[in-house]
Amino acid sequence: MREWRVAMATYQEFIQQNEDRDGVRFSWNLWPSSRLEATRLVVPVSCLFTPLKERPDLPPVQYEPVLCSRANCKAVLNPLCQVDYRAKIWACNFCFQRNPFPPSYAGISDVNQPAELMPQFSTIEYIVQRGPPNPLIFLYVVDTCLEEEDLQALKESLQMSLSLLPPNALVGLITFGRMVQVHELSCEGIAKSYVFRGTKELSSKQIQEMLGLTNPSATGPQGRPAAPQDPAVTCRFLQPVHKVDMNLTDLLGELQRDPWPVPQGKRPLRSTGIALSIAVGLLEGTFPNTGARVMMFMGGPPTQGPGMVVGDELKTPIRSWHDITKDNARHLKKATKYYDALANRAASNGHSIDIYACALDQTGLLEMKCLSNLTGGHIAMGDSFNTSLFKQTFQRVFSKDHNGEFRMAFGGTLEVSTSRELKVSGAIGPCVSLNAKGPCISENEVGVGGTTQWKICSLSPSTTLALYFEVVNQHNAPIPQGGRGAVQFVTQYQHSNTQRRIRVTTVARNWADAQSQIQHIESSFDQEASAVIMARLGVFRAESEEGPDVLRWLDRQLIRLFMFHLRRSPFLQVFNNSPDECSYYRHHFVCQNLTQSLIMIQPILYSYSFHGPPEPVLLDSGSILPDRILLMDTFFQLVIYHGETIAQWRKAGYQEQPEYENFKHLLVAPVDDAQEILQTRFPMPRYIDTEHGGSQARFLLSKVNPSQTHNNLYSWGQETGAPILTDDVSLQVFMDHLKKLAVSSAA
Amino acid sequence: MEAKDLYIKPGNQERGWNDPPQFSYGLQTAAQGAPKRTPLNKRVPPPQLTGSPCPVPGDVPSLTAPMTPPTNPLAPPCSMNTPPRPCPVAAPPLGGVMMMATPPPPFPVVEHTDSASSQSENEPDVDDVVTLLNWALTACRHTVKKQVCNDVAKRLKLFEDMWKSGKLSLPVRRRMNGLVQELKSCNWDAADEIHRALIVDHVNEVGQWMVGVKRLIAETRNLNPDLLHTQEVDQSLDTSSTGNSD
Repeated sequence: MREWRVAMATYQEFIQQNEDRDGVRFSWNLWPSSRLEATRLVVPVSCLFTPLKERPDLPPVQYEPVLCSRANCKAVLNPLCQVDYRAKIWACNFCFQRNPFPPSYAGISDVNQPAELMPQFSTIEYIVQRGPPNPLIFLYVVDTCLEEEDLQALKESLQMSLSLLPPNALVGLITFGRMVQVHELSCEGIAKSYVFRGTKELSSKQIQEMLGLTNPSATGPQGRPAAPQDPAVTCRFLQPVHKVDMNLTDLLGELQRDPWPVPQGKRPLRSTGIALSIAVGLLEGTFPNTGARVMMFMGGPPTQGPGMVVGDELKTPIRSWHDITKDNARHLKKATKYYDALANRAASNGHSIDIYACALDQTGLLEMKCLSNLTGGHIAMGDSFNTSLFKQTFQRVFSKDHNGEFRMAFGGTLEVSTSRELKVSGAIGPCVSLNAKGPCISENEVGVGGTTQWKICSLSPSTTLALYFEVVNQHNAPIPQGGRGAVQFVTQYQHSNTQRRIRVTTVARNWADAQSQIQHIESSFDQEASAVIMARLGVFRAESEEGPDVLRWLDRQLIRLFMFHLRRSPFLQVFNNSPDECSYYRHHFVCQNLTQSLIMIQPILYSYSFHGPPEPVLLDSGSILPDRILLMDTFFQLVIYHGETIAQWRKAGYQEQPEYENFKHLLVAPVDDAQEILQTRFPMPRYIDTEHGGSQARFLLSKVNPSQTHNNLYSWGQETGAPILTDDVSLQVFMDHLKKLAVSSAA
Repeated sequence: MEAKDLYIKPGNQERGWNDPPQFSYGLQTAAQGAPKRTPLNKRVPPPQLTGSPCPVPGDVPSLTAPMTPPTNPLAPPCSMNTPPRPCPVAAPPLGGVMMMATPPPPFPVVEHTDSASSQSENEPDVDDVVTLLNWALTACRHTVKKQVCNDVAKRLKLFEDMWKSGKLSLPVRRRMNGLVQELKSCNWDAADEIHRALIVDHVNEVGQWMVGVKRLIAETRNLNPDLLHTQEVDQSLDTSSTGNSD
């Protein structure tokens, strides 16, 4: 047992180093060499991969990557390849093809290696030329059915954003309410706009025709046809921000609330579906396959036209979970299908869609989430546009890294290659399939499967995919001595400075015989990564299947897996949150990196007291003490909870008295630590300052009090035979279970 | 960026339930890329059943074990209603500094005040600021389209009017002064950054006209440097603010 613990400690370092360098965390860091043994381990060989993990120490190289010449391989030259420096030949480690080096590599030798062969460059980035650089595009789609205060705040945020956009970006504006208006952005004269009915569905071609974008006689200066590389000439709706910023600022400043009067007892008529369809069609017709972001701002649900989520009668509330389980949500299927089709169109064009939804009631995120989930767009959910939560979340979309470069990247594709003992089952994350066939595809689909290539239209340094593999080596097939399996991730994308880049990550892990080395395999287990990987699978299934079925599946897994916190989390505990809230939380869960995802499953709790420095404490009601202040981070909320005594002292004002300065410091300490988190987190979390007996204390209490949660679950008519998990199941017990499972003959 | 421009305001609790505080532009940009002082990322494993510790990647309790609490004269007494007793010894108690992970931040959490009473001796002069802006605009008129220059001029006029009628707060006036100084020194990026900070922090005051300043910086930086130097600042006093707009 002691050796096992020592081995675990060593693996911690190995795991961390690999994550720091390559942005990869595997569930298992020693791979069982046979398919049968692999399935017994319950958690598949799988990983979390952050394609554009921030690597400030990694300078990109300015040449093209060298590819394997075999047609169905095309793997990139990497440190795992065998090289014959004399003959100037390299052997692909994936397909064993021998390839000659290109002429430019004539001078290489074992003392003069190109970077991509050096082990420390297991992750390397190439800057490549792929034709003229394309500008980035930002298309604002703005709901005008807002209260005056909200509209004013939104207008100001949009005006402000013009100063935050990349200077050469193209920008466009569509406003909607009962009608949809596409605004022409010209530098001179009166602003014109094209108006569309909010109820009539139009094809992409019709939209383009009505906007005058398919006019075959469109000419540039001097009557010659406009050059195909310069659609900016012909597209009056998407113009460079540095040219139209003044006019657009005025235009935004003059936006009015939707003029259509809203009778008593009714909702405003919001044609969100048509507005989005026009946005997608506009971009499709003018800038296919260029990085573009549709940024949609809405203050309420779609109430007319295709994609409507609820009617305009206020007495008919928007669907709740109860309505959904009773099959009483009239518009749900149709609306979801509508937005799904739009999302797929946008994704195939490489365009992403953000949703900024600010309203006190639900806005239809449940139906519309695919717009962002499939394209890598953001979802922000707030109460009003006149809140810090919205304003700062929106500002942070344009945040820059330490090099002064934008954190957003566009038009990404990810291709995965594996050594032949491994196949790719699928991916879960903000991506769509590129349906690329190849030899590495497993027949068992997990998530988005049947492919080894995916499209991620918008990426940030934290965007993370979960990738699932299948070991295909037959039982009893011999493992080569010291044999290693390898996986290569090739991410092509458009950098925010419009350069095209390719990032290549190549990783390897040793094969191990499960019969003789089960302890070693166990010691290589990364339970944090596995928790998130399995949770993503759970969420994916919850999104595509009936809710109770997923919980039953999870319960079966739970006999073997410690998923205590996941089960209580908002990702599967749907009944304490609205459908929109669930969609919001799940969206972030399947996009974020490991550290943030873990916080979402198992919130962090720190205790502040006079007794010593702040310390992490158990997420347990026993951690709530009268003389402590607790800071809880659930990712979506930061809660500062003052114990009873602290609250009384605070109320009595002791912090104002000079001799109790230490008490003042104690009060400030969690606030400062919370502020550090608040300063950079995206999206901005809610901030709750509460105390013993306070109404907001429930946010803390609901996370630490387990019996409440279990009662809620079972009150929904679940079969009473489901196994009951108590708080006392420790990680130690989990590991014991896993070991027993692995060595027993029962699968 | 001055310390005064690094601040935090409370969120809008009227409109947003548990709205988080709002950070100024300076604070937000400072935070990006900077490592956290005290990353709160540790968890405590649940109590052991079998007695043998379970090492968990990422949980290294030994790193965060609290120090042995000192005999702390400030330990709360058993009576709940008695406040913490001050240390009987003259020196500050050991607990007084070590209680937090790090000392309080160097800048205070300041409620941003716009009151006119906060005028200090370095109240910038509106005419100086406007003069410098017009110096740049005049230089632009040689090569930049007339319509654009007129649009910029219109906005500079609005800025001037708002200032003179007391509609601009001191931080805006002060920072605009800083902006034109950077412009004068041809520090285009610095000027641009100030414009960005102003529009993020004070959009309701500057939103209508700041885009003109933005454009002015963008156009001026592209000018032939000789064009700028031939325009001495003193000479531009002849082409004062009222003369430029038509």
